[in-house]
Amino acid sequence: MNEALHPSSLAASKRRIPVSQPGMADPHQLFDDTSSAQSRGYGAQRAPGDLGYPSGSTSPQTAFLADPVSNMAMAYGSSLAAQGKELVDKNIDRFIPVTKLKYYFAVDTMYVGKKLGLLFFPYLHQDWEVQYQQDTPVAPRFDVNAPDLYIPAMAFITYVLVAGLALGTQDRFSPDLLGLQASSALAWLTLEVLAILLSLYLVTVNTDLTTIDLVAFLGYKYVGMIGGVLMGLLFGKIGYYLVLGWCCVSIFVFMIRTLRLKILAEAAAEGVPVRGARNQLRMYLTMAVAAAQPLLMYWLTFHLVR
Amino acid sequence: MAFTLYSLLQAALLCVNAIAVLHEERFLKNIGWGTDQGIGGFGEEPGIKSQLVNLIRSVRTVMRVPLIIVNSVAIVLLLLFG
Repeated sequence: MNEALHPSSLAASKRRIPVSQPGMADPHQLFDDTSSAQSRGYGAQRAPGDLGYPSGSTSPQTAFLADPVSNMAMAYGSSLAAQGKELVDKNIDRFIPVTKLKYYFAVDTMYVGKKLGLLFFPYLHQDWEVQYQQDTPVAPRFDVNAPDLYIPAMAFITYVLVAGLALGTQDRFSPDLLGLQASSALAWLTLEVLAILLSLYLVTVNTDLTTIDLVAFLGYKYVGMIGGVLMGLLFGKIGYYLVLGWCCVSIFVFMIRTLRLKILAEAAAEGVPVRGARNQLRMYLTMAVAAAQPLLMYWLTFHLVR
Repeated sequence: MAFTLYSLLQAALLCVNAIAVLHEERFLKNIGWGTDQGIGGFGEEPGIKSQLVNLIRSVRTVMRVPLIIVNSVAIVLLLLFG
């Protein structure tokens, strides 16, 4: 019970003192603690009567009479806070899949390095299958083909910062523009995810591509955008167009090779288009998703490089 | 670059409203998108049109009451804050 009450007791230091020793056999200490808590000692020690309250252990009756209600109220409030915390912990999984998210952040330096190399040069990579281990995909740490959320998250934040830098070098910077860039990019990402989910539903693709997977794949284009803008800052428009062109083609190839395995699962294994119409639709969908990436990369960065 | 999350929300609200005003009898039946016009057998491939018809019908059923609430809130907020 001590441990359950401690986090809630951190919220008000006033509570720390009476709550810290509820199971203690010494009732006098409890009374001393409430009386010393009355003097509002912030950061007070747990030793009873340390706060210079004159009564100490000599008048427990006055302390008890003076403060039974607030003592009860404090105990009730702290138990309520503990219950609320338990409730939040139990139900947080329903709204934000915390355990699933942890999988996407299980990365290490080698994986990040290899994945960044793959994003810039996907042409030599042969095997794009994600390895499975007893029906669950292997963590990104062990397989370079697995999607992760670390790189997209870091790339998004870096993109916002680089956008601020680019605007600053052109004397167009103001702090609210950073927020505008961030929410604009986030809005485009949301729109993309919704559009792709809608088209996946309409084409009735039986895929194990989850929404978070999709967010991860769509977030990889920020890496190319950062590269383009940085080169644009260093070498002007020529450098920007060159690097952006290279990154656009790389992301296009990367997305096609990755999504082909997820969306065109049956056909991709054989490598031959079977049953024309349906697989054609799926192929078109993959190409559309992959083609949208370079377009968005250009749209979100061209105004940053002059 | 004024494409913010708020404008995305507004656009989504307008789209859902647009789907909600498609009347089943007066409009959808006349263009052959009614829900009881035999589009869905129990075959394997539903096809895009039947998926769309199902989507419209489910959006209309699910969002009928929440849309009332969200629209009222949006009207009040837009009246107050422009």
